[in-house]
Amino acid sequence: MPKSVKICLAAVIVVFVISVIATLVILSPKDEKSAVYVEILRDNEVVCTLDPAVETDRTFRIECENGWNEITVKDGKICVSDADCPDRTCVKSGYLRHEHLPVVCLPHRLVIRFAEDDES
Amino acid sequence: MTTRKFFVTSVLLVMMSLVGCSDKEKETVRRRGTFAMDTYMELTAYGDNAEAALTAAEERIHELEDKFSVNIENSDIWRVNHSGGESVFVGEDTQKLVETALELGRETNGTLDITLYPVTAAWGFTTENYRIPSDEELNRLLEGVGWQNVSAGGGQIIVPDGAMIDLGAVAKGYTSDELMEEFRENGVESAIVSLGGNVHALGRKPDGSCWRVAVRNPFAPEADMCSVEIEDCAVVTSGSYERCFTGDDGISYCHIIDPETGRPVRNGLVSVTVIGKSGVRCDGLSTALFVMGAEKALDFWRKNEGFELILVNDEREILYTDGLSESFANLSDMTAEVVSRA
Repeated sequence: MPKSVKICLAAVIVVFVISVIATLVILSPKDEKSAVYVEILRDNEVVCTLDPAVETDRTFRIECENGWNEITVKDGKICVSDADCPDRTCVKSGYLRHEHLPVVCLPHRLVIRFAEDDES
Repeated sequence: MTTRKFFVTSVLLVMMSLVGCSDKEKETVRRRGTFAMDTYMELTAYGDNAEAALTAAEERIHELEDKFSVNIENSDIWRVNHSGGESVFVGEDTQKLVETALELGRETNGTLDITLYPVTAAWGFTTENYRIPSDEELNRLLEGVGWQNVSAGGGQIIVPDGAMIDLGAVAKGYTSDELMEEFRENGVESAIVSLGGNVHALGRKPDGSCWRVAVRNPFAPEADMCSVEIEDCAVVTSGSYERCFTGDDGISYCHIIDPETGRPVRNGLVSVTVIGKSGVRCDGLSTALFVMGAEKALDFWRKNEGFELILVNDEREILYTDGLSESFANLSDMTAEVVSRA
């Protein structure tokens, strides 16, 4: 193989490797895109937005005129862990786990859902 | 090819592939939630027209609620129920939905009955003030029950004096069908809605894959029992674990009432999921087939086309019909058996 072809081949390999690395860097999830935000709404108004994956495990209450819901963020997941609503459907729903199925407390008009995030 | 050309071509190819990859566009997704029809409705639409489509869809939901509600004064159904047996002119949606519900009543031999409302109310399922009515009270109320006594036609509905109708078993299904139409008219090709226990998807996901819809485990609603992959389909579940109460007698009573006895159904089924193209049909059948019980429900499925079933009984067994054999995934530790038409 002539020397010029060898150099050329080496150059192509180098460009290819650089391109692959660049592609991986460009397409790798960036911080703001890898975050999966969750919204807590009361009466259809967002009262809190958080990323359970980076939140410290904690429990907090959201009060309304006719009661309260206790929200727990644990191991990157979020749920209603306790509530004083009559049916407690929100508590029985467990962790928020589906993009299109929110956790809902109808009596308190409280909703926990995944936030909008444009998809590829 | 000269060495130079080979080099330039190679570099160009690599760069083009790189540009092609990085240029991958993001699909716009818009989400909207609204409280209506005694539930929370979550709508998700994809594409450039998503926002406008969601606005139109939300308006349509409230328009339909204003017609179908039992409680909103001067809704079509409220006027029918307060007509004293007189004929009442109603809107086109109400006319269509009542006709569909009566047809489902006929098809299912009355296991779906829109005149059951006074009995459901007597048990407290409409107000959550639960109680166990006496046999005398139930017998008296059952005298006014009978879908055959309702007339619908020419834009008018007639319900006998003292009887009441409620479209709760079919209204969300009708609404989801209408939302799919609203999305299509607004140029949306990919959308999914969750209206309480009703899920309805338009087309496929923006990436071309099917929607994966999970069905809750009736024995542990915090977990998923199974999932199905769907395209342009509704998935509607009726479960005895929802809206139930335990009486002073220690018995658990579910909100699904047998029109024959006026009592909550206790036939061994705990969950019925109906999957099909028509949201209103899936909605009505999920209640009607629950009332029928597993054996009759599967017989009904064998004699009728256009829908598939997932039944769960109190022995923790899942029965799913063979049209789902490719798309069904068991996510629980329950046994799952496929049922064939033969």
